[in-house]
Amino acid sequence: MTNTVVIGAGLSGLVAAIRLARGGRTVTLLTKGLGGLQLSQGTIDVLGYAPERVDAPIDAIASLPATHPYRVLGPAAIAAGIAYAQELLGDRLVGNADRNVLLPTAVGALRPTCLVPPSMTAGVVTGGIRYVLVGFRQLKDFYPKLCAGNLERQTTPAGDPITARGIILDLPAIEDMADSSALAYARALDDPSYRAKLAAALKPLLQDGEVVGLPAILGHRDAGAHRHLEELLEHAVFEVPLPPPGVPGIRLNEALTALAKQAGVRIVAGAKVVGFESAGGKVISVGQATAGRIRQYAADAFVYAPGGFESGALTMDSYGTVTETIFGLPLHGLGPDLVTAGDPSDQALFRVGVGVDASMRVVDPAGHIPYSNLYAAGGILAGATRWTEKSGEGIALASAVAAADSILKGA
Amino acid sequence: MFEPDSYEHDLLNRASLDHCVKCTICETQCPVAAVTPLFSGPKYVGPQAERFRHGASVDYSLDYCSSCGICTNVCPQGVHIAELNSVARAAMKKDHMPLRDQLISRTTFMGMAMTPVAPIANAVLKFKPARIAVEKVVGIHRDAAMPTAHTQTLVGWLRGRTAPKPGSRGKLIFFHGCAQNYFEVETGVKTIEVLEHLGFEVIVPKQGCCGLPLQSNGIFDTARVWVRKLVAQLREAPRDLPIISCSTSCGGMLKHEANEILGVKDADLLEVGGRMRDICEFLLEMYDNGELDTSDWLENELTVPYHAPCQLRGQNIGTPAVQLLELVPGITVVESGAYCCGIAGTYGLKKEKYEVAMKVGKPVFDKIVAVNEGIAACDSETCRWQIEQATSVPTVHPIAFIHQAMGLSKLPVTTGS
Repeated sequence: MTNTVVIGAGLSGLVAAIRLARGGRTVTLLTKGLGGLQLSQGTIDVLGYAPERVDAPIDAIASLPATHPYRVLGPAAIAAGIAYAQELLGDRLVGNADRNVLLPTAVGALRPTCLVPPSMTAGVVTGGIRYVLVGFRQLKDFYPKLCAGNLERQTTPAGDPITARGIILDLPAIEDMADSSALAYARALDDPSYRAKLAAALKPLLQDGEVVGLPAILGHRDAGAHRHLEELLEHAVFEVPLPPPGVPGIRLNEALTALAKQAGVRIVAGAKVVGFESAGGKVISVGQATAGRIRQYAADAFVYAPGGFESGALTMDSYGTVTETIFGLPLHGLGPDLVTAGDPSDQALFRVGVGVDASMRVVDPAGHIPYSNLYAAGGILAGATRWTEKSGEGIALASAVAAADSILKGA
Repeated sequence: MFEPDSYEHDLLNRASLDHCVKCTICETQCPVAAVTPLFSGPKYVGPQAERFRHGASVDYSLDYCSSCGICTNVCPQGVHIAELNSVARAAMKKDHMPLRDQLISRTTFMGMAMTPVAPIANAVLKFKPARIAVEKVVGIHRDAAMPTAHTQTLVGWLRGRTAPKPGSRGKLIFFHGCAQNYFEVETGVKTIEVLEHLGFEVIVPKQGCCGLPLQSNGIFDTARVWVRKLVAQLREAPRDLPIISCSTSCGGMLKHEANEILGVKDADLLEVGGRMRDICEFLLEMYDNGELDTSDWLENELTVPYHAPCQLRGQNIGTPAVQLLELVPGITVVESGAYCCGIAGTYGLKKEKYEVAMKVGKPVFDKIVAVNEGIAACDSETCRWQIEQATSVPTVHPIAFIHQAMGLSKLPVTTGS
């Protein structure tokens, strides 16, 4: 019988569900659709900008405003979240919570991130690196010459020049296909014979010492595809994440979903949570709009990890009123001038969200606890602009682990 | 094209498509687009093409959509992609509906025609030259899975037995669907016996076809007539009782598809849909409420490969059969890990879709072949036929294992094949 309900199947929802189930709780995870994880880059960002570029993410947390989720969580909780991701995902992630690396994006910017799949590590920018970016005529999401040109306009953090050039191959994922998606290539590259075909076309074009950047298509399910291609090409190879849905995010989502199922989490997908029942200062059940009816799921603890505006968990109407759509929770960060004509990437609106205490229990702006068994995690939390800070995965992990641990301890 | 004020027109033009943020999650999960370039995927033929349709079709690859509904199930924005595409396909086929699609969508006629001559009908369906002729004339693929007819229907079985004592737990209504009546009588019998064993009195009102095969083939007008008739029949029984179904797709038709695809908004339909429960959903909910005593269930040391049908996923109830089967001492469930077996109702029967359907189902077949210990489980009847045909592994409804655990049938469970 279920005693814990998790709402949301993104990084925070999946991780909280796994930790709770492994900790002995019986967990039902309710989700409207597939979580947002597969729209991610497949890396774990902890803190990339605060607001200047960050090299040591945990050290930089002290400089964040007191309302930031990281300040509520504290450095130990952040480290615990990252350690748990490493424990769950093992050799799927490489890196160190104390240090960021810089990776080329699909347009040739340098993006700070923390933990990366092994298939991306060769791309970490270092002095003297010589990139060759490889695209495909049939893959419309990656323009290697644009990427290379932009990389050459920059330097490494130490001020060394970056060398890069672009190559375009004429090689569809499937014979005669005019327009192949990244996933079609990834599925093709699960087949060693297609890797051999790619290597045969590419190897003669490479120069000694070049590091080969391919779009992130090196295998959907075959984790050995990247290593095999490196062997065939006799060059270091790295993946450049593409616009969503990125294959690295798909791999991460599938790995965590499988772990959740192994842990015994019941996943009920495909319908929105549309309401709840409460009594005595507690949430008693939440109602999911299953086919034909609203099904109530009762539990003694609830983890609310639905994401923010992007998922519709937070909305703003045409009068500027911001609402949390399931529980009607009081929001933090409200005020005049939520949207101004200033920097579009830095708006007060983005920091509006649900507030929590250090146990991740939901609190209102006056510090009162509306429901003693309701915990929040991930993108719904107030105080962060995840996409400009590059902090989304770190917040999701730390808050999910903290919320799960509070429930497991019987907080 | 549909009339300007029709439901189809409204849905085609309005629907939920403005919620689509083009994240392409549906594209990545579509089991058909993964195996054939003939189908460009749910987003391209759906929310994308929709803006150009204006009532008429602009992308004929839409015909390769199997209507499995996975796109709607995975959409994080709540777009009714599959529903949108089902309606658009009906519009596309409206003026030139193939005879084949008219035939295979009338399950009751097939059942009524085959039952009196079951041995002959079964022999004919297994006779290759006859199947080649059928493929050439009608367009049903020669190797596609066909149901096995029985000389006795479920209704016949009910008529011929002694009525059980009134239940200690009250009454339930059983919706058998066409398959349980004509082709999967044993599944229907076992479902009724399990419910009676639990102390329920099972009422089986007279009932016809829900119209789902007509709907999925785009024959909407007749489908609406049939589903309305069925709703009226089910409402002949007491109207405060849950309705239990062991036919996944037909239960889903009454729960949501008649409403969301055919646009039948009758209060009667919504009322019946709200009472409809899949048998495993019902039993697991009983267990969750502490009402299902499993302490005397018999042990069955067995690894069971299980495939959750696409049409079950569409009901947003999770995979209750997995949790239910694992309540049987000794049973370990291994899920197929794939969304669809390819048959998708009648899709995989069609000559031009057969190869695609078999490719869609390949991961399911491979998993079942790899882990089975002589038997597999799946909730939906057409999926079971498809899986058995492709793997030669006897495949039963999960209720068969519960029936066995309750001591109502002998070990091991087999389909007799």
